[in-house]
Amino acid sequence: MWKREDAKSQGVAENSSVASGFGKSQSFDSSNSFSDSSRSAATIGQGIRIKGEVSGTEDLFVDGFVEGKLNLAADCCLTVGPNGNVKADLVAREIVVRGKVEGKVIARDKLQIGSTGEITGEVQTGRLVIEDGATLRGTVEAGRMEVSKADTKAVAAAATSTANKPSPQPTVLGSGTAAH
Amino acid sequence: MSFLNKLGIGVGSPRTTQGVRHEVPGPIHLTSRARTPGAPAPQAGPSRGAVEGESNRLSNGLKELLWNLDGLERGTLLDLGPAWQTTLSFFIERGFRVSSEDILFAWKSFLNEEEARLKQDFAAGETLEMTPSARATRFMKENLQYSRSSFDAVLLWDLLDYLEQALVKQVVASLTELLRPGGVVFAMFHSKKPEGFQRYRVVNSNTLQMVPTAVLCPPQRVYQNREIQDLFGRYRTMKSFIGRDQLRETLFIK
Repeated sequence: MWKREDAKSQGVAENSSVASGFGKSQSFDSSNSFSDSSRSAATIGQGIRIKGEVSGTEDLFVDGFVEGKLNLAADCCLTVGPNGNVKADLVAREIVVRGKVEGKVIARDKLQIGSTGEITGEVQTGRLVIEDGATLRGTVEAGRMEVSKADTKAVAAAATSTANKPSPQPTVLGSGTAAH
Repeated sequence: MSFLNKLGIGVGSPRTTQGVRHEVPGPIHLTSRARTPGAPAPQAGPSRGAVEGESNRLSNGLKELLWNLDGLERGTLLDLGPAWQTTLSFFIERGFRVSSEDILFAWKSFLNEEEARLKQDFAAGETLEMTPSARATRFMKENLQYSRSSFDAVLLWDLLDYLEQALVKQVVASLTELLRPGGVVFAMFHSKKPEGFQRYRVVNSNTLQMVPTAVLCPPQRVYQNREIQDLFGRYRTMKSFIGRDQLRETLFIK
């Protein structure tokens, strides 16, 4: 127990990631250190309310209200903005919380909770970064997480098939993100 | 030097922590929240430097707690203070499954919600029993809801000094149920009424950092040894460390 080398695989973020993770940008844009700069993020805006399951294969920024499930593919980032209110189980590679989240949070790679972030629920993550002032009420399991390829494919397939269907309403989500 | 540091597996930079080092007080939470957008966030992590207003203190209680937990393959810990990066990281690195619940913040929120509800609905005041004991019971129905015997250790910090006595009794009773036999509670008690309000986080295996913050709840009372013994009467061992800063660190082993 308690070996230094074990600690490296236990998923506690290095200090450098703390400094870089939150300071650069308040919005989910290309300057953000935790996202792939070549990709744009779909947005659920402040005035949008979604009840149900949201799945996708691209990054997602949630500043509105989501209730149900939110499941992104293995390489996707999910950001809950300062106005975001999510009552759902979240699954993504990387999750950043600056608003309210109630539910189980699974960030395969990294979970960042900003100073305005509030999480109530169970947390499973590869690495955890908490800014001073953040609220976390629940159990944390941090460490290397095995990514289930089957799960990833299923999410991707669901998102793609839904995105290919003609939508009767103008979509506020990106082409790779689907709300059921 | 701590046992862990002797083995070369201690966490954090070894810093001089003789006694208590006081610096200029200032509410770190406020400065943290009010910083300019885009400015870098305060650094966190085990080797994070002390920010203005924070001070470190040697903690024999923490050292003793770790000694008691030594040998656990996969421990479970309940932290009743704020979710600090340093504290969570410290225990997660050691293989603990950590549950976090800021009980003082929850109590404050609960009181505010009840007050708001009563203002909106006068009739609610007639249906709700307003005795301290009844209020504490309502609070406990929404908090500390875990399975029996699910934790090896609880970080209680100095929270009991700030909670109403009726709630203190229920919190201690609940923690006793949540702890496994042999489990440890790490608590702190002020020997005199505290002048400021501060939260605590783990720096390394024998050092705590005291972080002055805005007052969440005023101090309720100063507990005497006898009262503490009575509160934790169901525990088989009690060990106290008295600091020069009028703060007693106490370990209770179930």
